Amino acid sequence: MEHIELFFKSIFIDNMVFAVFLGMCSYLAVSKKVSTAVGLGAAVIFVLGVTVPLNWLLDQYLLRDGALAWLGREYADYNLSFLSFILFIATIATMVQLVEIVVEKFSPALYNSLGIFLPLIAVNCAILGGSLFMQAREIPSLGLALNYGISSGIGWFLAILAIAAIREKIRYSNVPAPLRGLGITFIITGLMGIGFQSFGGMLTGDNEPPEGTAPTTAEKAIEEREIEKEIEEDEKAVSYNDVINE
Amino acid sequence: MALNTEKNSYTVVFAVIMVAVVGSVLAFLASALRARIDENQRFEKQQNILYAMGVNENTPESGVNFIPTDVVEGMFTERIKKQYVLVNGELEEDNQAYLIDMKKQLDALKKGGDARLPVFIGEKEGEEIYVLPMHGKGLWDAIWGFMAVDKEMVVQGVYFDHKAETAGLGANIKMRFFMDDFTGESLLDEGSYAGITVSKTNNDPLNQDKADNEVDALAGATITGNGVSAMIKETLKVYRPYLQTIRNN
Amino acid sequence: MALLSKKDANLILDPLADNNPITIQVLGICSALAITAELKASVVMAISVIFVMGIGNVVISLMRNIIPSKIRIIVQLVVIAALVIVVDQVLKAYAYDLSKTLSVFVGLIITNCIIMGRFEAFALGNGIWRSFLDGIGNALGYGVILIIVGFFRELLGSGTLFGIPVLGDPIAKTGLYSIGYENNGFMIIPPAALIVVGVIIWVQRSRNRALIEEA
Repeated sequence: MEHIELFFKSIFIDNMVFAVFLGMCSYLAVSKKVSTAVGLGAAVIFVLGVTVPLNWLLDQYLLRDGALAWLGREYADYNLSFLSFILFIATIATMVQLVEIVVEKFSPALYNSLGIFLPLIAVNCAILGGSLFMQAREIPSLGLALNYGISSGIGWFLAILAIAAIREKIRYSNVPAPLRGLGITFIITGLMGIGFQSFGGMLTGDNEPPEGTAPTTAEKAIEEREIEKEIEEDEKAVSYNDVINE
Repeated sequence: MALNTEKNSYTVVFAVIMVAVVGSVLAFLASALRARIDENQRFEKQQNILYAMGVNENTPESGVNFIPTDVVEGMFTERIKKQYVLVNGELEEDNQAYLIDMKKQLDALKKGGDARLPVFIGEKEGEEIYVLPMHGKGLWDAIWGFMAVDKEMVVQGVYFDHKAETAGLGANIKMRFFMDDFTGESLLDEGSYAGITVSKTNNDPLNQDKADNEVDALAGATITGNGVSAMIKETLKVYRPYLQTIRNN
Repeated sequence: MALLSKKDANLILDPLADNNPITIQVLGICSALAITAELKASVVMAISVIFVMGIGNVVISLMRNIIPSKIRIIVQLVVIAALVIVVDQVLKAYAYDLSKTLSVFVGLIITNCIIMGRFEAFALGNGIWRSFLDGIGNALGYGVILIIVGFFRELLGSGTLFGIPVLGDPIAKTGLYSIGYENNGFMIIPPAALIVVGVIIWVQRSRNRALIEEA
């Protein structure tokens, strides 16, 4: 259940491009054609899927406050979290170059279609963003970290696919010359971003719990009874107090 | 001298040297500056606690003005009468309570362990006021703060801070126009601990209605605002038994 | 510009307009969106990037002949991250208030692709002095756009500049607000930054038609 929730949340509500505006540079630069966009999007899914769990392990067993406790008691007080940026980014860059070397060696065809995007990915802030969010939101298990990496990658993939498709079509429209290309892409992305903000309502709209997590009536009844009991107790305490004061 | 930079052995040696150099520079810097950084952080906590209970250098029109760092230590010992730690509902006196990391305590509570929850007791116009630390999550990262209440559970002041909320949006939780709204709000709603909700729909931008358990939200910062509401609720939850004893006394 | 030869001067002047990192090279967009809701944050970010890019370009340029090409991306990222962490720690110790303002930007500076982009495109192939000028020039070009966007977003979105009200009081209805003007809350949400940058591109390319892209 929490896997499914995290999955859809990372794709739509916390979309890397439209909700938190990460990975914009490659998103804008490599979205002229759908085919290249698909290549880069796939690479991002893959790299996020690998680096987020890896960095989760790093965070859990090396960086966070008290993480070194597994080495022995005397290490339990170390807090290396000031190193997280540098270690996360080193993992990412290493993974990217490792993938590049491996792919080049074993599948030249794949390398030709994917390879040119790999160096771009190291500087894609969506990748580092993924790891930093994983750390800040304290994702509890390796499985969820993997899920988070892949699903936020898919969110990014969908975004670049959508804008590439729009850009292919918009070539036939009569856009004012100075806006052609980059300018209109900025504006369309802005409009799409505003549209995506409405997904935020799935989480934050009113104070209703999001769908699927709504408590059953039985649970609700129990909860209400508990609240009533608490209020009663409070009132009792207060009135008892008043009596004493008087 | 021509270096063959393409050789594997060279690459490995280079990487090792780079890691060693960068690692030792950072480690050296971190340990050399530790003492000063710790001191700065200590002063900041004292400033924040005092700010929440209204001990600050604000003028009506000014921004957030703390007690200056060079006098804050003295001011802190003077104005905070007692520092307690709540362990299993029991009060223990602890002069270092303000250094406790609230996040660790809340984590410990979640895991079902024992927590040391700090309480600071100050005095304002002859009345005791109680300052409670808070910790929660905003949009990007942690948010935290302090909340001062009197024994009627009316908020006497708050201080919020954040690690990385969006500048101009969520980051404004540490601006006076947001924090000042909390002063005077009651944490109680007909006897239950309702907390204070950051609301987008209360149509009360000047916050004249102090009885509604609501303050006006920051435009464009929904998730940070919800984080603040949740943080206050969470604080009330963990301190509830203690607050109950204050009200009963 | 007697200090600089014409070629060197162009390294600084080009990125300010015709080869602007944001509007032409498409680098450093994320941070331009994240922090431009108010002018002060834009200025602080611009200054930090000028600092990191100036020094970073020099360091990379110094090391350009000894960096193995296979791991150059890692080396570049480590240089940026180390620089930023050093600055952050030193500020935390000696200028704590300033560091609190800056701490939000640490992550954004490290992932700012403008820095990597210039390392890769320029510093790896050029001498120290020219790399330094290129770094400063591009950071300035980036800063200019940031400040323009920040100016309009804060002015139209909150009616303030550097946090000081300039259009009157929206609640007491003074100044411009007395004739029915309202703040445009839309301007302070991040997508508005995209649209403002889009408009800047429009203006820039209308004035210099050589920059217009082929359809």
